[in-house]
Amino acid sequence: MRPILEIQGVTKRYGWQVALRDVSLQLPSGKVVGLLGPNGSGKSTLIKSLLGLVSVDSGQGRVLDFQWPRQVRIVRDHVGYLPEDDCYIESLQGIESIQMMARLSGLRRTEALRRAHEVADFCDMGQERYRTVDTYSTGMRQKLKFAQALVHDPEWLILDEPTTGLDPAQREQLLDRILVLAREKGKSILLSTHILHDVQRVCESVVILVGGQVRLIDSLENLQRPSRAGLQISVVSDADLLKQSLDKLGVAATRVGSGELRVDGEGEEVLRAIWRASSESGVLVQRVDPFRNSLEQTFLDAVASKEVANAHS
Amino acid sequence: MPILDVGYRPWQGQRTARWTRSLVLAETSIRLVWRNPWLKRILLFMTTPALIVGIFVALFEQTIERQATRSAMTQFLRSPATQRAAERAGIEDLNLREDPQTARHFAWSYLIFILFRYPQAFGMILVLGLVAPRLISFDLRSKGYLLYLSRPLTPWEYIAGKAAVIYFLLFLMAAVPSLLIYLSGLFLSTDTSAFMHTWDIPLRILLATLVLMIPTTAIALAMSALTQESRYAGFAWFAFWIIGAVSYQVLWFADQARRGERPQRMEYLGDYNSWMLFSPYETLGYMQMQIFGLTQGEPFVWGPWMVAGVISILGYIIAHRRVARMLKA
Repeated sequence: MRPILEIQGVTKRYGWQVALRDVSLQLPSGKVVGLLGPNGSGKSTLIKSLLGLVSVDSGQGRVLDFQWPRQVRIVRDHVGYLPEDDCYIESLQGIESIQMMARLSGLRRTEALRRAHEVADFCDMGQERYRTVDTYSTGMRQKLKFAQALVHDPEWLILDEPTTGLDPAQREQLLDRILVLAREKGKSILLSTHILHDVQRVCESVVILVGGQVRLIDSLENLQRPSRAGLQISVVSDADLLKQSLDKLGVAATRVGSGELRVDGEGEEVLRAIWRASSESGVLVQRVDPFRNSLEQTFLDAVASKEVANAHS
Repeated sequence: MPILDVGYRPWQGQRTARWTRSLVLAETSIRLVWRNPWLKRILLFMTTPALIVGIFVALFEQTIERQATRSAMTQFLRSPATQRAAERAGIEDLNLREDPQTARHFAWSYLIFILFRYPQAFGMILVLGLVAPRLISFDLRSKGYLLYLSRPLTPWEYIAGKAAVIYFLLFLMAAVPSLLIYLSGLFLSTDTSAFMHTWDIPLRILLATLVLMIPTTAIALAMSALTQESRYAGFAWFAFWIIGAVSYQVLWFADQARRGERPQRMEYLGDYNSWMLFSPYETLGYMQMQIFGLTQGEPFVWGPWMVAGVISILGYIIAHRRVARMLKA
């Protein structure tokens, strides 16, 4: 499938400060891609550049079926943007805000209102849609921004910190909606966030941006796959006792945290050894999972490393 | 919960033309300012001077034909202020009986100009002081500009959409009452050739409204864009007009005193002098006087036009730069 975004050599400077340095990027279509990076890494600048909200010093490419940055205004008709900032139009009702955004994207007045209600229902805005936006809680404003980003049925959604300010239940619901849009409705989604749990929950690929440069692009599956196979064991009591028993049985095990062990190898033989060691040591095994690299560690490694990893998924 | 939750449904349909999108912004902003009850009260109150001028125009038309009321109107036309205004307009003898065409054109233009110059101008300052400071500053504070500009709108189109709100209000306050007065004058006139004598007045009304709209909107938007606190913008707006008017009066009187002249009487206040350019109120007033043909007896001066032009360009540029710069933050 044709990538949703292909850009090459994008550089953006603010005076002497380089916000984006020769960024080249290719994002798959119909997938949820996480955009990660520490503060000041250029994520928001990249998003604003893609939308033409800031002009770039160099670089070109394609967004959807349009030349970028030459046709950036047309691009905005086909992209839904949820800004990181708490932004709203004072004194407008929620539903009026959504309708206005629909009209700004080219829907006619009545159709915009109909569509606004449809999207407000999808975003579970309830009767609060009739309240003025100024009175909304942070969570409601996030829902409103999500509805505004969706109302014109964009092909590509750019969500900048969409779960900020949501309580755990609302966050899960929003992530579910993102998954519905991507998996059932075929939307392409770029999710910029600091919350690695959100990335693990919904993203299929990850882009890590550090110091205005792309440090890593890969699928989440590849990133989480360990260099060698292994199992992660969580125990209820003393993990060291279990480790001693495993050592006696000739299975190499290492402590990876409080109450956790990592065992090299997979398969029935290893599993049998674990149950036997558990029985012999009297240590209760709570769960056994295939070992996966932690995304947090991958992120920290990518931030610390100097080299650009370009393992396209 | 919706009665029937259909989940997410794709949308397909024809989109409106891109150039219409800033009209959506303008319409939404107008709807928002229209919710202010004080705005409606002031606009309603401002119809009173228009009604008075309308009655004057109607009386004038009735007077031309009736001997009994002609003397009262002649008194009005012979007042020092009117005589001086007629001199400035290049009319040597304002005679109602012998040259009713010239008298009618002058009287209608002069009355409508007075409406523009005094009640509508003060009303404009009040209404824009109420409405304009919030136009951009509220968006800067609530970052609403990000929502607008993430759609196919440029910062210039955003400014144009906001400017349209002020244009609409000024058109409603200045052009509509004046055009209604003109029409009522035509319909109440017993002379069927009245239209032939005054056909240019509606065009002059529209031009005078335009001259009022462009610089005042530029100033109002620049002030609104310079702060996130609308009260500061409101304060700056009123200070701009008051300080300008006071500066002009002080400088003018000081200049006369320096030259050993006696301060001029009220009927000469409309005469051009270069200190006038310090006061936006006087500058705009003089330009409107030129537009209504009330300075034809004097050489044309470009000073007010240049000042208004520079202020307009600067105002719109400041507003644009502020909005464009906020995107980089």
